[in-house]
Amino acid sequence: MPILEAQALTKTFRRPDKDSGFKGAVRHLMQRKYKNYTAVDGIDLSIEAGESVAYVGPNGAGKSTTVKLLTGILRPSEGTVRVMGRDPHVERIANAHDIGVLFGQRTQLWWDLPVEESLKLLKHMYGVSDADYKRRIERFDELLDLNEFMPALARTLSLGQRMRADLACALIHDPKMVYLDEPTIGLDISVKDRLRAFLRELVNDGTTLLLTSHDLADIEEVCERIVVIDKGAVAYDGSIERLKAHYITTKAVNLYLEGAANVPELAEKFPDYEWTAGEAPSEVVVTYESNRFTTAEVLGSLTAQLSPRDLSLSEPSIEDVIRRLYAGELTK
Amino acid sequence: MSHSIAVDRALVVISFKRRLAYKSHWFFGLAIGGGSMLIAMVMWQNLIGSGTLSGYDWDSMRAYTIIGFVAATMVFGAADWIMADRILDGHIAVDLTKPVDFQRARAAEYVGSMLSTFPTAVMGVVAAWLLFQPPGPATPLAGLLTVVSFLLMFPLAFGLTYLSTLVCFWTKRYLGIMWLREALLSFFSGLMIPLAFMPGWLQAVAWALPFPHFTTTPSAIYLGRVDTAGALGLLAAEAAWAVGLWVLGWLVFRTAVKKVTVHGG
Repeated sequence: MPILEAQALTKTFRRPDKDSGFKGAVRHLMQRKYKNYTAVDGIDLSIEAGESVAYVGPNGAGKSTTVKLLTGILRPSEGTVRVMGRDPHVERIANAHDIGVLFGQRTQLWWDLPVEESLKLLKHMYGVSDADYKRRIERFDELLDLNEFMPALARTLSLGQRMRADLACALIHDPKMVYLDEPTIGLDISVKDRLRAFLRELVNDGTTLLLTSHDLADIEEVCERIVVIDKGAVAYDGSIERLKAHYITTKAVNLYLEGAANVPELAEKFPDYEWTAGEAPSEVVVTYESNRFTTAEVLGSLTAQLSPRDLSLSEPSIEDVIRRLYAGELTK
Repeated sequence: MSHSIAVDRALVVISFKRRLAYKSHWFFGLAIGGGSMLIAMVMWQNLIGSGTLSGYDWDSMRAYTIIGFVAATMVFGAADWIMADRILDGHIAVDLTKPVDFQRARAAEYVGSMLSTFPTAVMGVVAAWLLFQPPGPATPLAGLLTVVSFLLMFPLAFGLTYLSTLVCFWTKRYLGIMWLREALLSFFSGLMIPLAFMPGWLQAVAWALPFPHFTTTPSAIYLGRVDTAGALGLLAAEAAWAVGLWVLGWLVFRTAVKKVTVHGG
């Protein structure tokens, strides 16, 4: 049985329908008009215990709303959610014992107090034993250098420290199901790397993870499965490998020639490949279909006839695929 | 059971500590509360002189003013806007992911916040006692029942505050609601002027509301303006309001939580 199951999950918000300016504001006072706005539109999602799922979509696609529906904060307009067999909104308190939630944009630390106070409060709330608490804090310290800022007031932390502290708060009770809503937002590369290493370890230990992020490196390094949503509906659901294999059908080589590259002439000479100008005058990008030609073949023919000064292979990137998914070019 | 009490206690303590973090709040609480108390004292002394006004002489008015100061310090000093802000800015999303009853957790925090006004109240009372030497309670029992009335102010103040912060699920601002509540409380509690000075119909309106229990009830018991049966009746009414507002808060939250909308992250 899946640990999390959502069926036809829908959330509609009512938004004031106001014209701009003073006239619009007055008219709205006299005659209130509202527009319904569907943030999440019939999402089906099923997650097995131990899975690590990236939940991806452009801004306003309904990612955070979905997380709030799955965690019981919002009540679905239609459809159902079951987390470990419970309706998370109706059985909010029971559900809360088993889940860990991090909202990257909202801290759960007590702002005016040392970080340690927030963690100790959570220890009481979740009924964590002294021994477990000590063990987990030690482990978080190893991976996140928690002790560095345990006595510091939460409002004095840097964003990276705050996020590490918030992550510890979300995980102090060893939840079975963890939701991380943009855990790396605004962080620098080195803090991101540490967070990702920490999350990989969490997944290896068997925690079920749902992660939303705009950072594709988060997704590739931490998750095995990806769900792409757009305009409130699922655009893709499957393994990241399959997404790549299925949609990354072309590869590219960058050639650096001795003189300036004449793109139309080259395109005529090698009609099997697609030619585009590079950033420098002497640079040219050769795109080829990976199921028709091997890289060795392509390189062989190009170097033999053009003798380029240098060349580089671009790795196929999931970013391009997702960009195309967002743009609506791809369908599931 | 013991687990939930431990959670309550942890919330009381952390909320108390949060208020301690801002020492200037105390100072201002003492300056503003103490200042208002001094002004009231001078004003009543001038108005009453050696006579009486609606049954209050200068002796009883001194005790009345000090009781009003303690009530005002407790109820205006608790940080009610923190609760409202969390609803307005979306932090309620975090609160709703915690395995605790929302209302009970907010109540525990509110109690911690009210307790943090204790030093201000004590300092103010000690200073006022030294300066004005008010009379003691009418009887030792009246003194004890006055303390009970102050204790009941905790759930009563929470009930009022909680309900007014829940309004933020429907409105987008809190300040107006807070001002309205504080104005009603200042006026109908007898904090500004004793209810006995008001016309009969206005007194009837006041007693139909929970507000008189913030100054009039404890002072009436303390000064012996009501006998023991009357005092118990007032305390019963105060307790009934506390329970009623709790139930009302529970009902309103049940509706409000269905309306939660947290946009943008």
